[in-house]
Amino acid sequence: MSDHDKIYSTKFQDSIERSTLLMFVLTAIAVAVGGIVEIVPLFYLPNTGMCQNDPTCNGTSHKDLQGNAIPMDKIVWNPTTSAHKTLADWQPGDGVRPYTALETAGRQVYIREGCFLCHSQMIRPFRDEKDRYGHYSIAEESMYDHTYQWGSKRTGPDIARVGGKYSDEWHRKHLKYPRDVVPESVMPNFFFLDKNPIDKVKTVKTLEVMTKMPFNPVPKTIYTDAYIAGAAAELEGKTEMDGVIAYLQSLGNHVKFEEGVNYRD
Amino acid sequence: MEATQATPVKYDMDVVRWFTIAAVIYAVVGTLIGVYVASELAFPFLNFDIPEITFGRLRPLHTNAVIFAFGGCMLMATGFYIVQRTGATKLWSNSLAWFTFYGWNLIIVLAVITLPLGLSEGKEYAELPWWVDIMIAVVWLSYGFNYIMTIGIRKTSHIYVSNWFTMGMIVMITYLHVVNSLAIPVDWATSYSIYSGVQDAMIQWWWGHNAVGFYLTGGFLGIMYYFIPKQSGRPVFSYRLSVLHFWTLTFGYVWLGAHHLQYTALPDWTGSLGAAVSLAMIIPSWGGAMNGMMTLSGAWDKLRTDYILRFLVTAMAFYAMSTFDGPVMAIKSVNALSHYTDWTVGHVHAGALGWMSMISFGAIYHMVKKLWNTEMYSDKLVNVHFWVALIGATTYVVAMWVSGIMQGLMWRDYDEFGTLTYTFVESVSAMHPYYVMRAVGGAIFNLGTWIMLFNVVMTVRQAGAVRGVNAVAAKA
Amino acid sequence: MSDNHNSAGGVPTTGHLWDDDLADYINQPPKWWMLGLTASALWVVIYWIMYPAIPLAINGTYFKGFGLPGSGQWTAIKELAADQAELDAVRQPYEDKIKTMTPAAILADDKLSEYVTRSGKVLFSDNCAACHGQNGVGTIQAGKFAVREQGLMAPVLLDDDWLYGGKIDTLYETIANGRQGMMVAHKDSLTAQQIDDVAKYVKAMSDAGKAAADGDAAVAAGKKVFAESDCTACHGADAKGIQAMGSANLTDKIWRFDGSLEGIKQTITYGVNSGDANARVAIMPVWLKKDEQGHVVSKLDETAIKKLAVYVYKFGGGQKEDVAAAPVAAPAEAAPAPEAK
Ligand code: HEC
Ligand code: HEC
Ligand code: HEC
Ligand code: HEM
Ligand code: HEM
Ligand SMILES: [Ca+2]
Ligand SMILES: [Ca+2]
Ligand SMILES: [Cu+2]
Repeated sequence: MSDHDKIYSTKFQDSIERSTLLMFVLTAIAVAVGGIVEIVPLFYLPNTGMCQNDPTCNGTSHKDLQGNAIPMDKIVWNPTTSAHKTLADWQPGDGVRPYTALETAGRQVYIREGCFLCHSQMIRPFRDEKDRYGHYSIAEESMYDHTYQWGSKRTGPDIARVGGKYSDEWHRKHLKYPRDVVPESVMPNFFFLDKNPIDKVKTVKTLEVMTKMPFNPVPKTIYTDAYIAGAAAELEGKTEMDGVIAYLQSLGNHVKFEEGVNYRD
Repeated sequence: MEATQATPVKYDMDVVRWFTIAAVIYAVVGTLIGVYVASELAFPFLNFDIPEITFGRLRPLHTNAVIFAFGGCMLMATGFYIVQRTGATKLWSNSLAWFTFYGWNLIIVLAVITLPLGLSEGKEYAELPWWVDIMIAVVWLSYGFNYIMTIGIRKTSHIYVSNWFTMGMIVMITYLHVVNSLAIPVDWATSYSIYSGVQDAMIQWWWGHNAVGFYLTGGFLGIMYYFIPKQSGRPVFSYRLSVLHFWTLTFGYVWLGAHHLQYTALPDWTGSLGAAVSLAMIIPSWGGAMNGMMTLSGAWDKLRTDYILRFLVTAMAFYAMSTFDGPVMAIKSVNALSHYTDWTVGHVHAGALGWMSMISFGAIYHMVKKLWNTEMYSDKLVNVHFWVALIGATTYVVAMWVSGIMQGLMWRDYDEFGTLTYTFVESVSAMHPYYVMRAVGGAIFNLGTWIMLFNVVMTVRQAGAVRGVNAVAAKA
Repeated sequence: MSDNHNSAGGVPTTGHLWDDDLADYINQPPKWWMLGLTASALWVVIYWIMYPAIPLAINGTYFKGFGLPGSGQWTAIKELAADQAELDAVRQPYEDKIKTMTPAAILADDKLSEYVTRSGKVLFSDNCAACHGQNGVGTIQAGKFAVREQGLMAPVLLDDDWLYGGKIDTLYETIANGRQGMMVAHKDSLTAQQIDDVAKYVKAMSDAGKAAADGDAAVAAGKKVFAESDCTACHGADAKGIQAMGSANLTDKIWRFDGSLEGIKQTITYGVNSGDANARVAIMPVWLKKDEQGHVVSKLDETAIKKLAVYVYKFGGGQKEDVAAAPVAAPAEAAPAPEAK
């Protein structure tokens, strides 16, 4: 028996090294485990509404200061139980809602222009982020965000709660020529958004697609047939700039947070 | 008996030659775009009010160009090179390999067209539109299938360690790409992920991290395990270490994705899970780094004369460094500071410039000599490239570490009255000098790639006269 | 070749050979590394049971961990609470004092006014700088960069030119209740010729001073319009503006809007906040809002607004004389100015 038949690891390892199939299969198993453990449980989280239609899982896991469960519809807008029944009536504080047609169009521009590469939309539970940006973000707030936009870099500030912070006029001016209002800014000029009309066909289709998502679809009680049918009219004459501003103004004021309540457990 | 060939094997090396040339060109282009986006952050007027070249559209072009064009062609060139030579066999299918070559380059061309037009799916490192995603899946499978089938028809009894890593990468990237890219199209330009919010975030970083872990690390470790022993002419330091390195990395890396999401709206358990394994990953990673370095022990003197070896060894040093930096950043309290800052960018480029590019440059020079069966046009220029790359990479990484830590500290700083010391814009202006420094470092690094391009072109021209048409005898 | 041991240092290889000369030594991994590997595995297990790290797959529940010795179970929110408490301990004594003091009294207290300046900085940058520029330099007037458009112009707060007055209590009022200076449109009450004339006169007052303009025959027609139309009612006979209504001083070189002849004509023709579609818009938002029960419902509360008043005052343009007579008692509720619509 010549030297090279001696095994310096284990018999099993040696047979893996001899067999393409065995190595392929075992590698395929080894690389699958971690992902499954981390990802699958997230699809059973009650507080992102992943189980909206499951009667055994109603309500979030949030508890108020007395220890009582906070009802789901305080966090996620439910037009059937809310006093405000339509997207047009919705008021800040009514709970997380999907985007209006105009905001949807703006969100597409936000993705297109790569804003997420400079702006995060995820406030962490730190005191400095609270002072700077506001209440920490919670899972429900991005449940309708197909392609989440949390970002991973803050070249510019977090904008998870920028809604209502500035006037529309300020945004228009800032987006067009950021250095006119903030001389130190390194943000590109997005003046051209004011010239581009909104792509109505795309936006209406997007609304439709959002109701067909396998996970967290927008309920048809919100994007009603009538709403989708009327969307094109709502977008008439609007520019991409109008859309982006509407989108920015919609960020962060959906949920009315109570001081002291733990919204992360 | 393995690899003992009475007559030299004829390999399919034409496709490898073309992938190698492509990798060299994309190294120049990708880092050039990097320099441009770096300059845009330092001097925003460089956006020139042209939508197609604003930072938000050009940055994805940079990441796609360096990762998928440069990195991808590198992995395919070396993959096909190594799998043939260590298996003592031709490719399972040479024409399929050419399909991979044309397909992959077509995808790159499409990226160059679509990204500046703003066709983005909004996921980092997975920006390309849905129909390009489908093409990527097809071309990737053509590569993977051909690669694995070639292992299958090898003439050696055992599969060489490089091929373990590359196979692991092929399998993992297939999973990642398919799962992460699932989306519903709205029209030809736009589609939306079927996942949303926290689930989408976790899937994205399962992809994002493991694209790094398997593509930029696993695949390049395959390169390391072939070219370091080859170039130094010495056996791999420890077979058992290779085995342990491979399985711990392959099994362990997958768990790390959640370290990109610490303190976010995901439940607390995900961040901790990712953080714990991340820290543990130092040991397997350093095992690999050591296996590479120790392979040279006893041959350190070669570094004085062998410039290619310098690239390879430096790459191992940067690999060790960035796999220390990364785990440290995964610690909760450190991540609280480093997340969202330039520290991450510094860490990325320690890995990208120091590890992944350096090992590639070493491999390219080694392969060019073998593929064209000649010496380099200029060894001196290889040495110049080495120093230029080292200085450029160091400048870049140091600038970003300093600016990142400064940024993090400024954001969280409170004065003695318990009020925030700095406004956000103050941190933006404080970054300016470092952004300039990064652009300069990047430009220096980019200069090195031009030197390499020149040297490779001259080498190929000089060899042109004697080059065979379709296959060149493998030279021992 | 089959027994290639390549035996540098006497260590044999596994005997496998690839591509002519690729082989593996049978060296053991170093001891420290093997120990490290075991330690890493242990570390992961210990970390997983101490910190929340184990999902239980059903209904989003997870094992919350045994916690750290001494500090109990770890959660991100607990960490936040502890950090916040630390901060509150520093802030509370100042905040408590500010609650009971007038802005003027705060200004007079060195330590407190220093505290307010510091905390005012972020408040101002986050809420006010959008319109008034960082540090109140204004956004349009900053002059450092080319101005491409008009609109969104709020006064410079750094100077001592005040529409409504720079006394500390006035500042408090301005911020709490907002301002919306109103100038009527003159497109119906004046002819184009008259507007042209009066604009030239106004420009001359700024360029050369009121006395010189009054003596300048070239703008005499405008002078007449100014005196006989409704201008003096708001801007005063001396054209220096009336702070009670926030009308601008027309004799200085400081322009709220566009100081070119065309710009002045536009202001006069369409007015300010006049409801005309082409009117200049100048709305200082209301920052203090309360519901029927008297609870603050706005983002900023009285304390924050006091801080801002002091902060703006300390830009340097604040009008001093009222500091000395500062009453220490809490201020009477600021007189409600007309609500912005
Ligand atoms: C090159 C990086 C970059 C890109 C790309 C970018 N921004 Fe910014 N952004 C910044 C910086 C830096 C600031 C802070 C300075 C300032 O206010 O301009 C900022 C500030 C902002 C603010 C003000 C936030 C606040 O709270 O003060 C908003 C809103 C904003 N950006 C929106 C956008 C949108 C929408 C896009 C995409 C169309 C975008 N940004 C793209 C860098 C960027
Ligand atoms: C939406 C834009 C906007 C924002 C935000 C804003 N202001 Fe104003 N501010 C104005 C305008 C416009 C005026 C002039 C009102 C007028 O002409 O009647 C003004 C006037 C003032 C004045 C009176 C100046 C004078 O000359 O008398 C003060 C003081 C002031 N603002 C302070 C603040 C402070 C403090 C904040 C932050 C809490 C703030 N402003 C936020 C637009 C704004
Ligand atoms: C109803 C009261 C009112 C009347 C009448 C009035 N103004 Fe004004 N005017 C104002 C106020 C208030 C402002 C400042 C607005 C602001 O800054 O928000 C102003 C601002 C101006 C400005 C802009 C100054 C600058 O700095 O940009 C000009 C010019 C001006 N007035 C000229 C006139 C002339 C000429 C007339 C007569 C034809 C006139 N105004 C009549 C209230 C009035
Ligand atoms: C000349 C060399 C290079 C320069 C000047 C450069 C510059 C940049 C810049 C400016 C950014 C954006 C950072 C930000 O948003 O703040 C970036 C991002 C990135 N670059 Fe490079 N780059 C270079 C080479 C490379 C190479 C060779 C790779 C190989 C993989 C690479 C991979 C990346 C990645 C992955 C990111 C995204 C980082 C993140 O999102 O955190 N870069 N680069
Ligand atoms: C054991 C090894 C490593 C660990 C534990 C690790 C850990 C990390 C951590 C904690 C982050 C920051 C996440 C955040 O806060 O957003 C990060 C980002 C990153 N790392 Fe590593 N890292 C390792 C090795 C590497 C290597 C070798 C590369 C080589 C190229 C690399 C490339 C990246 C990239 C591209 C990002 C940026 C992701 C993004 O935000 O876009 N990492 N890594
Ligand atoms: Ca990133
Ligand atoms: Ca002023
Ligand atoms: Cu990672």
